[in-house]
Amino acid sequence: MFIQTEATPDPKKLRFLPGCEVLAEGTLDLGNREQAGVSPLAERLFAIPGVTGVSLGRDSIVVARSDREWQHFKPAILGVIMEHFMSGAPVVRGKAAAPSSPANPATDGGRAEIIREALRQVIDPELGYNIVDLGLVYEVTVEDRGMTTVIMTTTTPGCPATNYLKAGAGEAAAAVEGVESVDVQLTYEPRWTPEMMSPEAKAHFGIRDGGGW
Amino acid sequence: MTGVTLSRWTMSYFAAALVALMAAEAMMAVGYGFPAAAIAAPETLILVHVVAIGWLSLLMCGALLQFLPVLVAQPLYSNALALPALVSLVVGLAALILAFLQLDGRIAPAVPFFAIAAALLIAGFAFVLWNLARTMAAAPTMPLPARFVVVGLAGVTFTVVLGATFALVLGGTVDYGPLVALTTAGLPIHVVAGLGGWLTFTAMGVSYRLLAMFMLAPELEGATTKAALLLGAAALGMAIAGGILAVLLGGNPSLALLAALAMGVLALALYGADVLHLYRARRRRNIELNSRMAAYALVSLAASVVLTLLLLAIRRLGDHAAAVVFLIAFGWLSGLGLAQLYKIVAFLTWLECYGPVLGKGPTPRVQDLVVENRAGKWFLLYFIAVWAGAAALLAGLPLAFRFAAALLLVATVGIVAQLVRTRRLADVKDAARLPQGARPPRLLLSCQP
Repeated sequence: MFIQTEATPDPKKLRFLPGCEVLAEGTLDLGNREQAGVSPLAERLFAIPGVTGVSLGRDSIVVARSDREWQHFKPAILGVIMEHFMSGAPVVRGKAAAPSSPANPATDGGRAEIIREALRQVIDPELGYNIVDLGLVYEVTVEDRGMTTVIMTTTTPGCPATNYLKAGAGEAAAAVEGVESVDVQLTYEPRWTPEMMSPEAKAHFGIRDGGGW
Repeated sequence: MTGVTLSRWTMSYFAAALVALMAAEAMMAVGYGFPAAAIAAPETLILVHVVAIGWLSLLMCGALLQFLPVLVAQPLYSNALALPALVSLVVGLAALILAFLQLDGRIAPAVPFFAIAAALLIAGFAFVLWNLARTMAAAPTMPLPARFVVVGLAGVTFTVVLGATFALVLGGTVDYGPLVALTTAGLPIHVVAGLGGWLTFTAMGVSYRLLAMFMLAPELEGATTKAALLLGAAALGMAIAGGILAVLLGGNPSLALLAALAMGVLALALYGADVLHLYRARRRRNIELNSRMAAYALVSLAASVVLTLLLLAIRRLGDHAAAVVFLIAFGWLSGLGLAQLYKIVAFLTWLECYGPVLGKGPTPRVQDLVVENRAGKWFLLYFIAVWAGAAALLAGLPLAFRFAAALLLVATVGIVAQLVRTRRLADVKDAARLPQGARPPRLLLSCQP
């Protein structure tokens, strides 16, 4: 199963896309632990320190955080969502489990997130920050038999570091246990902007949220 | 898209250029050339060409061989052409210096050094132009910064053709009337084509991209940038074509140069507005030393424009042209060049040393190769010396100018020492300096595994 994450206009909220249906219809906003009682998934998310709100939608889960930085508990959120959908438990009590169709339930096993973590040792030399938090890694997918695809970009087309970044991403991903082969693909669609950085990277460079370029 | 690779000889261009810069500053410090000698004296011509060809042109050629491919996202046409170009330019400059010494009567006129210099410099610039033109021709797109470079390359073509004409006439190889007239009256056109067309226009194009890249600012492709390109190109066309035509028709090129100045000032004003926008719209709040020092260079450019207009208004431009040229050459072009060199040398050194081991383990950052606080003091001294030197020239104080030139030399040596330290990885912490598989870079050329 591969869970994508998406930034939202509010830096304190992050959208998680598990690749399957979450709610059959409508949305469910749960602002505290008491309200979360209607959803086993939301209940488990609220058990993670730092989670202050959960919104369930048709194909996504938006998690709100306190002042705790995402990097400290995002892996725990990913783990809870993955375990929930793998177990087949219902998203909302009293209803049948959502008909999940995760990408590769048998093979991924959270490996994409581990690979992302490994890619953090690859730094963009000019900015001096890791390519994952800079938002240069667009997608990591792990298919059967550990075949991995990394789709990434560079801060500027034609950057002299391009080949090194590609090779470095390949080396880092290949070093993850269980990865058999890595295909690193370069794309400039969409073009990278500083808005794609993680909140931590933005703070490092003194970039305020919003406003694009 | 294919990634752009390291240009093998760019470091060698930079090293040769820095040697020429320090040599020129030493000449000024000991009183060689203007203001101790006349503005058209052979000593001054030697000094001017050591700066224009030895320092600024080699710097620009080396930078373009590495960064034009970045501008057009297309690998360099040929790495092999870069070395013969460098050798031709350096030997051509040496021949030109010997030719000026012949003109001064210091060496015997037995060897036709002017003709040799013309042939070698034409060959050297032609190698560079061919390499860059073929790179651009193969590029899928031509962004605006690259179009500035195209105009700059047209500028160097005219500069070299005019310079070669002067050399052949002065050396006695050619005595065709119109070319003799061009040699007599065409010096301002040669200067405008070189300083304005080749060096300033190319620096503008490269700076649009580098400043945006280093400060995380939006790349500019809007109306002001396009207008700056068109007006600037028109100004250069007017100065070069109009000026040459005026001379060949037996007139004075001043009118064409004045019209070109008017358009050029407008183009520079638009460029200034664009650059201000880049600084204001940057997403990276804490900018690095190269971007901070580039601002001083841009201030020097603005000061040289204001000074030109003021001198023109009081009809004293002819008397103080040297101060304006000094400010453009050392404040704007050299200041910007040194500031960007500080970043580029660290960046290229990082790629060469740590690029091959990226992803295999922790690597230092580019920022770990430099110590900005230490380098910043030398840069500050450099710009203070430039502004003091320009003031001394304006005030007609040759001794004060020599003192400023000596300070300039000290500051440049300080900056060069930082570049050598970067190249030697001297400021990287011992534990991180050479991870397994990393090779220390060579000082004067880039080796790509």
